[in-house]
This record gives sequence, structure tokens and C-alpha cells, in this order.
Amino acid sequence: MITDHHVSKKIFMFNIGFLTLVKREIWRFMSLYKQTLLPSLISSGLYIMVFGQSLGSRIGTIKESSYIDYIIPGLAMMAVINHSFQNSSSSMMQSKFLRFIEDILVTPLSGLELSTGYIVGGLVRGVLNGILVLALGWLLTGFTISSWWLTLLYLIVVSWGFSAIGVIVGIFAESWDHIAVFTNFIFMPLIFLGGVFYSIDMLPPFWRGISQFNPLYWMINGMRYATLGIYDTSPLLSLLISVAIAVIFTITASFMFSKGYKIKT
Amino acid sequence: MVNAISITDLKKKYGSFEALKGINLDIPEGSFFGLLGPNGAGKTTTIGILTGLVNITSGSARIMGYDVVKEYKKSRAIVGISPQELNFDPFFTLDDLLTLQGGYYGMKPKEARAKAMELLKQFGLESKSKVKMRQLSGGMKRRVQIAKAMVHDPPILILDEPTAGVDIELRHLMWEYLAKINKEGKTILLTTHYIEEAENLCDHVAIIDQGRIITEGTPKALIRDVGESMICIRVNDWPEKMELPQWQYTVVDNQLHIQTSDPDTDIGHILSILAKENVAVLEVKLKKSNLEEVFIKLTGKRIDES
Repeated sequence: MITDHHVSKKIFMFNIGFLTLVKREIWRFMSLYKQTLLPSLISSGLYIMVFGQSLGSRIGTIKESSYIDYIIPGLAMMAVINHSFQNSSSSMMQSKFLRFIEDILVTPLSGLELSTGYIVGGLVRGVLNGILVLALGWLLTGFTISSWWLTLLYLIVVSWGFSAIGVIVGIFAESWDHIAVFTNFIFMPLIFLGGVFYSIDMLPPFWRGISQFNPLYWMINGMRYATLGIYDTSPLLSLLISVAIAVIFTITASFMFSKGYKIKT
Repeated sequence: MVNAISITDLKKKYGSFEALKGINLDIPEGSFFGLLGPNGAGKTTTIGILTGLVNITSGSARIMGYDVVKEYKKSRAIVGISPQELNFDPFFTLDDLLTLQGGYYGMKPKEARAKAMELLKQFGLESKSKVKMRQLSGGMKRRVQIAKAMVHDPPILILDEPTAGVDIELRHLMWEYLAKINKEGKTILLTTHYIEEAENLCDHVAIIDQGRIITEGTPKALIRDVGESMICIRVNDWPEKMELPQWQYTVVDNQLHIQTSDPDTDIGHILSILAKENVAVLEVKLKKSNLEEVFIKLTGKRIDES
């Protein structure tokens, strides 16, 4: 017999079903912490030692900040972008590849709830990685943060945006190669050209102009403002661009899930 | 009374290929319904539409009156599906896997875990609760798949080839279990390649081929109406003037071949007529038709041919 129990409490948005998907996504990456959390610490530690400690003393200060402090927000952003994207794209790809996405698609969760569930999983991994890098910076260099709230906001917003991009790429991807193309040929150059290791003011005018079109430049700029209180360009515009990216790609991912694009036949 | 599943003029196109060409089907609440068809007939597409894995081209499908597109949150909450293709989430042990599955349907973690453990016990997998799916045999994986479909206690179960790749002993155990839960009130829609499975379990079957439902009814009625059963009787001496006007039959060398749609009932009548006419019966053989013959007659092929 069908009873009210079966339908009544299960129709609301963002209920237990959504939270279960978020929990699943967090469990997944926490069970793989050696791949999902520790690498950021190692690579950022190496960047701080090699670029900061050894080369930093020759570069001196940038905008009254020591070079080693200057690069830490960028390193945190690099970790956030890589890990939030990796989490949702690989989770999507895996669930498609092993077909267990069907177990989730047949549930009463809406396209918005499903996409947001995957996005929040990537967001949490991105934020955790960002916090770990900042904590490592503090441990190794005594780096301090100017605004905790703004820093957390940036970690969340940027992580959200790249996790949403990861969901979309994961939906499109037909092999692991497609995901690697994004990481290696798009994000990596954009991160390095976005001013992780230098101020945009150090570039020739032509490249400075080109950098304005790199969204990661704005994110790194905003993060540097939140942590060190220094900036190359408008911090407000940086925040608006980061939020816009998060919103646009979340809507796109949700639309794709709702329509079943590439995940339903 | 609202049907558990109701499908109206359902069509599905993949490019120019028409997978479903306007299907109509009503499955009453509490029934055990079999959807029979060869590979590519449209069974999995139909099930996919009911559960939200396949988008509809035109027509409609309702589960307990809830439209599967417009009211999908309600329709999906009351259905559990065990897909034909085995899938597995490699990160979680069986108890966690089932607990998560219950959670997606809105069950609280404690409630979902209790149900997960109950199902693992019912399916003989209690000792494997802390094992991951990839470490299980094919038959065990199939049982987990069905348990996943049942964890939120849905009143309607859709099982796509639930005993594919399962050994005979386990298949019979699963049949017993499915018959039991159907008796307890669950509506079951089953697709199968095993005609014997449909004959044993289903109170209603529909035969689907090339995207169309060719016929439907109770297995008994289909066998009676479409199948060709035969009663073969060897007699000592067939009287020349003797006739059996109710049946079509042939007599060759005192061998009587009688066509019948209901051999169980007709055999008594025929034997009593022969006894009245003092015809000595030496041997009686019944050749009963079955769903497989019905299937072949209607589709022109065996069910395992694609």
C-alpha cells in the first residue's frame, strides 16, 4: 500500500537527500586524503621553500610585503582551484564510468539538488586545501591574515565556482584525458599567469593588459587583498567576478542535470 | 482505483531510431507484472522512463497517478529500481552504500542504517556488511542491487533482469523471496529473458517487440489463446466412424493428435468419451504449450535472439 509516508516528507528542496549526497562526496575525498588533502601541503611547502626562502630574499618586497608572504595567498588559491575542480570532475566522471550515477538519478533529488550536492563536495575539499596551505604558510613563515572573514569568503566563492566548472567538465568528459586537458592546458597556465608568483605591475604593459582577461588574476588579487591587505586592482571587482563565475557555472551545471544532458538518454 | 503504473502512448526516439512506438500499459497495484521481450525491444527504455533515467519523446507515464516528469519527486519516492547493468560505488562498504541510498530518498541515517542491516540479513549478506562491492561474486552483487532498490521500502519495485548471471539455486531463492514480498503487497514490474521466471512469478505479462506491446494478459490466458497444446493418445483400435466434433484432431495408425487450448480440462472429457465408446487407451501424452511458444509465435523469434 502507498502511504503518505512514502511521498509527503520527501518533496522538499535541499532536505536529507541533498545532505546525504553532500556527505557522500565529503566521505569520498576524506577516505582518499593522501590524494585529496596532503599533496597541497607538500607542493605548497616546496613552493614556499624554493621560491620564497631561496629566491625571495633576492626579489625583496612587493607592495611592502615580503616575497614569501606575497606568494602564499596565490598558492592557497592554486590549491583551492585545483582541488575543487578535481573533486567534482573526477567524482562525476567516476560515477558515470562505473554507472553508479544511476542510483542517484533515480532518487527524488532535483537537478539543482544533484548538481549542488556535487558542487558542495568539491567546495569543501577546495576550502580545506586552501586553509591547509594558509596554515602551512603561517607555520613556515609566520604569515598572518588581515581579514579572516574575507579570506573565508574568497575560499568559498572561488572553490564554489571551480567545483561547478568541475561538474560541467565531468558531465562532458568521456575519458580521464578530457579532465587532464583542463587541468594541464587551461588551469595551470591561467594560474601561473594570474600572478601567483609576481605582481602584475612587474609585467610589460602588453602582458599586463592581457592579464586583465584572466579570471584567475582577479581571484588571486582578491585573495591577496583578503589575506595581506594589498592589491593590484579593485578588490570589489575581484569579488564580483568570483561570485559571477560561481553563479553562472552553478546555473549551467544545474540546467545540465535537470535536462539530463549527457547523463540521461 | 489508480493503477500502480500507467503508460499512455509512450514514444521514445534516439535520433531517427524509434525505440518505443507508442506504448500503452496499465499495471494494477499489487500485481506481479512481467515485461517480456528480446534485446532491443524497448524494455529497459520503458523502465528508464519510469525511473527518470531516460527522457520522454512524447506520451506520458504515471506512477500511482503521479506524472513521472511533472511530479517526479513524488513518483520516484515510491519506486525502487534494480537496473540490469550491475553498477557499484567503489568507495563504500555494503552497509554504508545502502545507508547512503536510503538517505538519498530522505531517510534519516539511523533509520536507513537499520533498514540496510535488515536487508543485508534478508539477502544473506550480513557477514559482508563491511566489504566493498568489488569483492563480491556476481550473485552477491545482484542481491545488493536489489537490496539498494528496496532500502527506502518502496511499494513499487522495478526489476530489470534481476536474475541475470545468477546460478539456478540462487535464482530459485530469489523467486521465492520476490513472490513473498509481492504477496505482502509490493507491486513488482519485472523484465526477464527467462520465460520460466515470468511463468512462475507473474500474474500478468506483456510481450514487447520492436518498441510495441504485441499482447498482454495472464500467462494462462496467453497460453490458452495463442499457444498450441496437444493431447496425444494411442489407442488399441480407432473405430472408423468415431468422431470428436469439439476438437480438431488427426488419427494416424491409431495415434490420436488433438489440438486444445486447455489440455488439463479437455483430457478428462476426451477419456470419458473414449471410455463410453469402449475404445481401449494404451498411452496418453500431454504436450502443453508455454509462454516461450507464445512468444515465438507472436514475435517470430526466441526471446534470447536479438
